[in-house]
Amino acid sequence: MTMTMFRWSILSLAGFVLCSITGCTRWIDVKPPSVDPKEIMTHSLPNDERVPLVTNSFHLTRNGSSQYPSADLERRILSSVQETSLFSTLTPLGEKSDSLGDKTVSARITVDETIEPHSWLAAFKGIVIGASMFLLSPFIDLEYEYAATVALELERWDGHVTRYEGRSSGTVYYKLFGATPVMIDELKGHVTEACLTDLTQQLVRDTNLYMASSAPLPDAGIRTVTVKAKRPATTHPTRALVPVTTP
Amino acid sequence: MASLVRRFTALVFGTMMTASFVHAGEVSPTITVGTQEVGLTAGYMLSHRLTYLHKTQQHGPALMPSWMITLTDPVGDGWYRGQVSLGAEMVYLEFREPLLTHGIGFTPRIKYTFVALGRLRPYAEFTGGPFWTDLGGRVREQANEFNFILSGGVGVSWFITPQAAINVGYRFHHISNAGTAFPNLGLNASLPFAGFSFFF
Repeated sequence: MTMTMFRWSILSLAGFVLCSITGCTRWIDVKPPSVDPKEIMTHSLPNDERVPLVTNSFHLTRNGSSQYPSADLERRILSSVQETSLFSTLTPLGEKSDSLGDKTVSARITVDETIEPHSWLAAFKGIVIGASMFLLSPFIDLEYEYAATVALELERWDGHVTRYEGRSSGTVYYKLFGATPVMIDELKGHVTEACLTDLTQQLVRDTNLYMASSAPLPDAGIRTVTVKAKRPATTHPTRALVPVTTP
Repeated sequence: MASLVRRFTALVFGTMMTASFVHAGEVSPTITVGTQEVGLTAGYMLSHRLTYLHKTQQHGPALMPSWMITLTDPVGDGWYRGQVSLGAEMVYLEFREPLLTHGIGFTPRIKYTFVALGRLRPYAEFTGGPFWTDLGGRVREQANEFNFILSGGVGVSWFITPQAAINVGYRFHHISNAGTAFPNLGLNASLPFAGFSFFF
């Protein structure tokens, strides 16, 4: 009798521990998998060949609606660009860039985020888990998807524009007791890292485009000016073309 | 038990009075997927005799510590925009009438919180689970001690800080044994309650 009770106790304890461990797990699946940033090829350029990069605009959209972009995200993007050692200095949005010289590269950054929290499915699974008195919690996965596209449009001092785009998406799978707000930050961190890795790899391939000697400065004497024609005040414009002679 | 209720009431009102209402505009709770909530709720149960066969007028205090986890980001648009949370609750009831008896249960709890009003968050909730009480078998409505407790109700949370809220509301309680023994008329009660929650 005692032996039977002991066996059942051990079995129950093992089951409880197993359920507790599996019920608290979570994992993140990122596509494409992020590459170690150290593996990104960097070009060692002479200092006089490197030009400054100035951020001109930064736009963020989430599920199609425009958002106020965070300075942290901008800093992170610029920091990744800095790691390529292509540019002499990087100027964030809104900072003065008057003393940087004539040869500068202007950057326009666009980040497009898509969040799919699978809310209704999570609510349904929650009802099922609750109805089972949490016994099904180790066996039911909840998920949260996040995708991002980071676009970097670089305009060289001579007007040459090149667009780079890094895309990535990921899903965090978690059990009920493994849920925490931190996992969403972790997912966003991994996806953003994969995007930036993709982006900087493309940028490094175009190293020659951004060397100071790659293109001359545009002639200072020539300016492109767009003039909008003034609408004539009269409703009969053809009259003005008729030569009039006065005696 | 009466002193426990008095202490709990003092704690709730003490929390309310010491909260910083000066910075009321700064309170903006950010509750996302995975945010956990622990809370303590107390109330007083008042019986409902729904048929002429119901005779017992059970009443007494109730204490309900709970834990919840937020399952969704806000869903929907407009006034019904809200979040779903799932959790569990211990429920302790002290029946003062017709006999001084006790009941304890464990119930999963699901809650839908409306988030459109900012720091004022109405919610609807449902709980259900096993419940043991020594009142069972001593009243004509319930034959045995092992029962189930079901409750549904509405409440409102007032966030005094981004991580803390005071809750008040109303629940309807039903206790029965799901036909496992007879008689099984069920014990029904109203439960107005108040409590507080912490989010992390």
